[in-house]
Amino acid sequence: MTFNIVVCIKQVPDTADIKWTEHNTMQREGLDSIINPYDNGAIHIAKAIKKFITDVKIIAVSMGPLQAKDSLKEAIALGCDEAYLLSDKKFSGSDTLATANTLSKFIEAKVPDFDLIICGQQAIDGDTAQTPSSLAQKLNIPQATNITEIVDANDIYIELIKETSIYKQRLQLSYPALIACKVNSTNFLPSIADYIKSQKSEIEILDAEAINISSEQTGLKGSPTQVKNAYRPIIERSNEVLENLSANECADFILDKIKKCKV
Amino acid sequence: MSNKALIYIELDNNKAAKVSKEIISHALHNFRGFNVDGIVLGDKESINAALDDLRELNVQNLFIVQNELLNTKNTSLYAQILADFIFDNRPEILLIGATEDGRDIAPRLASKLNIGLTADCTDLQIDDAANLIATRPTYGGKLMASIASKTTPNFATVRSGAFKYSASLCKCTPNITYITPDITEFIDNPKIISIDYKQVSEDWTCSDVIVAGGLGLTTKENFDLIYKLAELLKAKPAASRAAVEQGWAPQDIQVGQTGNSVSPKLYIAFGISGAMQHTAGITNSDKIIAVNTDKDAPIMHSADFAIECDAVDVINSLIQKLSN
Ligand SMILES: Cc1cc2nc3c(=O)[nH]c(=O)nc-3n(C[C@H](O)[C@H](O)[C@H](O)COP(=O)(O)OP(=O)(O)OC[C@H]3O[C@@H](n4cnc5c(N)ncnc54)[C@H](O)[C@@H]3O)c2cc1C
Repeated sequence: MTFNIVVCIKQVPDTADIKWTEHNTMQREGLDSIINPYDNGAIHIAKAIKKFITDVKIIAVSMGPLQAKDSLKEAIALGCDEAYLLSDKKFSGSDTLATANTLSKFIEAKVPDFDLIICGQQAIDGDTAQTPSSLAQKLNIPQATNITEIVDANDIYIELIKETSIYKQRLQLSYPALIACKVNSTNFLPSIADYIKSQKSEIEILDAEAINISSEQTGLKGSPTQVKNAYRPIIERSNEVLENLSANECADFILDKIKKCKV
Repeated sequence: MSNKALIYIELDNNKAAKVSKEIISHALHNFRGFNVDGIVLGDKESINAALDDLRELNVQNLFIVQNELLNTKNTSLYAQILADFIFDNRPEILLIGATEDGRDIAPRLASKLNIGLTADCTDLQIDDAANLIATRPTYGGKLMASIASKTTPNFATVRSGAFKYSASLCKCTPNITYITPDITEFIDNPKIISIDYKQVSEDWTCSDVIVAGGLGLTTKENFDLIYKLAELLKAKPAASRAAVEQGWAPQDIQVGQTGNSVSPKLYIAFGISGAMQHTAGITNSDKIIAVNTDKDAPIMHSADFAIECDAVDVINSLIQKLSN
């Protein structure tokens, strides 16, 4: 029987390439989009499972605007077998809960016989590692996050290493299940065969109707958290400017401030 | 009847985690009209070891959930027990530290209770209607967003270092209630084969003086001077993300939105431009000194003392003075 893996992918701006305007805002023009490096790592982990299990199918999914199609093509070039893009105006403005709802509906509709879901631990564009656990609960399956390594896999369970700043765990997870991996990389390159395959592949685009989700469960409407107010961080400091001092004078000034705070 | 704010107290090497204490301090000082309660989960050994520390926390009620199965940090079990407790206890506000385990447990719990979750907050306030207004950086730190939730409990995770811990003056001990969780239905998946706790790493984020280096130091050799200076000053070294990305410094000492929030008495930034993502991590410093050749770098407008000078020269001069 085929072992079905779903890899969740987010398209993010290439932060290594971010330029800032003089007003400290992000210069968006000319900014490339990439697969979130942790999701790239997740694809790599999915491929590593092929070493342990023979008949593996890797299905990539992303929720986002139509341009995320490029990232899904790249996912295929990196070794995924199929890819779906969840794109609909109704999805926009989704918070964690609404995103988890949407992804879970996709999985129920299109890959109900999945064995393993693999997510990147977090997205580098500022998101905070909320989606994986939230999705696991929506599907009512167990989860393991902060995964750094696969030790073993067979058709009953996968054995993994989880690592946090406090402890290191070795654990076995029985399917169906979800893992979130901490492997951060943009370095895995496609094979030539996979690259050619990706050029021919079609990315299927699914809207709310296609995955059977009501507008109460997704997008702004399906999001219990709401932004009340947004503002620029305020700075309240004395801001004394010291110009035209020699390095020696600067050093004395700093040493004086250090002395003051040490007593 | 007063409202209840419940804080999940994470155990870190048999002590209440720093972030949990910070949240409790903040809630005690700012949540008017709320009872501040705490809940802690663990096996008998770790609970007993942590008990003295827990008694100091000044929460009104301390709920202790004790079970031997909790010794392997199986986060699914933690989420399940917390969900059951919250279902019975019905707090209006629920707060968890945004640690690695906190970020694992919280979304699962939110999804289970079908409630909203505001993640990685840096400020929490109560509005006139006794709702939680949780503030977090957004758009890469360029904006702060204040977020409310339509669902109860209002639920947020909080960044370590977002608040300062101050021991409360009142030496009131909490009412302690021991709870035996009903885990008959719990399926042991994932099954934990082994767990090794790491050496307690010293918390450097609230040391007196932190000296941080950025891309303006231009080479690894120059960045190494930060370490030397820190050693001479008995201060702690830190880095901007750009310096970490260059491989000049390890990620553990990165300061900012995706690194550590620090709260020293004095933060000295050498060759750091002061992007919002960086300054998001230093707002709790008592004083900030910036050394930069560009007097219009953003950090020069936000520091207490903005020194327009070559950072490497200043560091060398400091090292020379301190070595004598
Ligand atoms: C989602 C996201 C999260 C991020 N998280 C973080 C984070 O947690 N922490 C973080 O730090 N960044 C973070 N960043 C990156 C952040 O936006 C900046 O790119 C980064 O902080 C810049 O580092 P820097 O100040 O060292 O380098 P630069 O911005 O390149 O600044 C170098 C500074 O050095 C000065 N300089 C040059 N030569 C000298 C000299 N000889 N002497 C003195 N000064 C000199 C220059 O004038 C300049 O101001 C994040 C970005 C994103 C998009």
